[in-house]
Amino acid sequence: MSTLMLATLMGLYYWFARLRLGYTFSGMLVQPIVIAVFVGLITGDMQTAMIVGAGIQLVYLGVTSTPGGNVPSDPALAACIALPIAVKTGMDANLAIALAIPFGVIGVFVDQLRRTINAAWVHMADKHAETCNTAGIMRCAFLWPALMGFVIRFPVVFAANYFGQSVVEQFLAFMPRWLTHSFEIMGGILPALGFAITIMVIGKKTLIPYFVAGFFAVLYLKVDIMAVAIFGTCIAFLIRSFGKNEEA
Amino acid sequence: MNATVTDKAVSDVQHGPLLTKADITKSWLIYYMGAEVSNSYERLQSLIFCASMTPVLKKLYPNKEEQAEALKRHLNFFNTEGVMGGIIQGVAIAMEEQKTRGEPITDSSIIGIKTGLMGALAGVGDSIIWAALMPLLIALFIPFAAKGSAMGGIAPLVLYTGITIGISYALCHKGYKLGRESIVTLLQGGKIKELIYGANVLGLIMMGALAASYVKLSTPLKFSFLQGSEVVVQQVLDSIVPGLLPLAAVFAIYLYMLKKGPRYTVILLSVVAFSLVCSITGIL
Repeated sequence: MSTLMLATLMGLYYWFARLRLGYTFSGMLVQPIVIAVFVGLITGDMQTAMIVGAGIQLVYLGVTSTPGGNVPSDPALAACIALPIAVKTGMDANLAIALAIPFGVIGVFVDQLRRTINAAWVHMADKHAETCNTAGIMRCAFLWPALMGFVIRFPVVFAANYFGQSVVEQFLAFMPRWLTHSFEIMGGILPALGFAITIMVIGKKTLIPYFVAGFFAVLYLKVDIMAVAIFGTCIAFLIRSFGKNEEA
Repeated sequence: MNATVTDKAVSDVQHGPLLTKADITKSWLIYYMGAEVSNSYERLQSLIFCASMTPVLKKLYPNKEEQAEALKRHLNFFNTEGVMGGIIQGVAIAMEEQKTRGEPITDSSIIGIKTGLMGALAGVGDSIIWAALMPLLIALFIPFAAKGSAMGGIAPLVLYTGITIGISYALCHKGYKLGRESIVTLLQGGKIKELIYGANVLGLIMMGALAASYVKLSTPLKFSFLQGSEVVVQQVLDSIVPGLLPLAAVFAIYLYMLKKGPRYTVILLSVVAFSLVCSITGIL
């Protein structure tokens, strides 16, 4: 697939996923692990896309949305740019994570811009309400935000994918060893951020021992994730009566 | 059976047509589809809430003046978690319907119920749907993704969408049927707290397990002593407790956020700087 085509498709995906059509459906579409499936399909390298996608996902595991719908970091922008470039240039997963991070930050500003502009449609809807123009209200709720979203979302991802690959390739060729190694370290640490955020979002300090238990279950007992899920569910049910007595 | 059918017929004659199940489903669907599409800083979800009420309001208020009033009423500030928010929608629809049937329901009581419920349900929804269910489903399938399987992305997408659509659809219809009192009872009852508690326990266990597999940190440091014996720091650490450094990394970031708030950008930059320094000095 040509770079032009790839950049266009990624731009469209980002626009559509961030349109947030379908509340929880789109909530998942913006996750790196789902974006990886799309990147895998259009690049034909599902294996690499999923592995790198899993890496980027871990950084953003707890980053869903905070009360009030503010996006603390935009995993979708990060993944829509870093994933295709990583797959195309054969970049190491750790390096791809490092590449993704700055875009995640930029994504926050794009979203702030969107929600600021969206205020215009509410005012328009106020006028439509006066005249009972329900079709107009529907357009304000769906059509105008979608069109405006395209204008501010598509170009970012398109440009980054279109011009990014060659820039990144040149950069990779010249990278000194100490710099690549620092990216490896970064790739190893950053998933910790995702877990820390999740603990933070759950927000109950008294429950932290469960985190530690899960951590060492894997290291000492060598169980896999599915086994942890099964035993974890049992534990969650068993402590239910216990939990009732506590401030939950 | 016959009695209820005639009752309904009589009430239709007296009060105009009742809403059908399809009307409520239509409203629910509009809200589910667009809950975040038109979200703005000024009034957040007010626009989509009003839009989702249009099929119902058009039917309930054939009179244009009343309809305009009703539409404006639902353009008031509104924001909640979209899955649990289905309940509020059901309640609001029920209240609008009762109002048209001559029950003493004021505009401000409809707005009041909406704003009264939205905070509580946002709290419940954020902690169950977004903070527990979503990371759980992703976590469950990350091992598939890490092995290069598309299942790692497809499964969470399908499951999360399916489960949450089921919940919000059921809640919206339930809210319509039960009305506001029962919602308050439900929120105050222990069931929801229990559910959140259990989900949080499971969530934390899973996060811990994943952290053990995916946070990777080890030191290449070695100390040689005069007699030629060599101490490999990582081996010493592992012999005390395996995974000490990864665990420390998670808690260092967690404690920072606890103190200073969720400053993602600061943390990210610090990790970058830390990695560079450790790489150059050879500590990690």
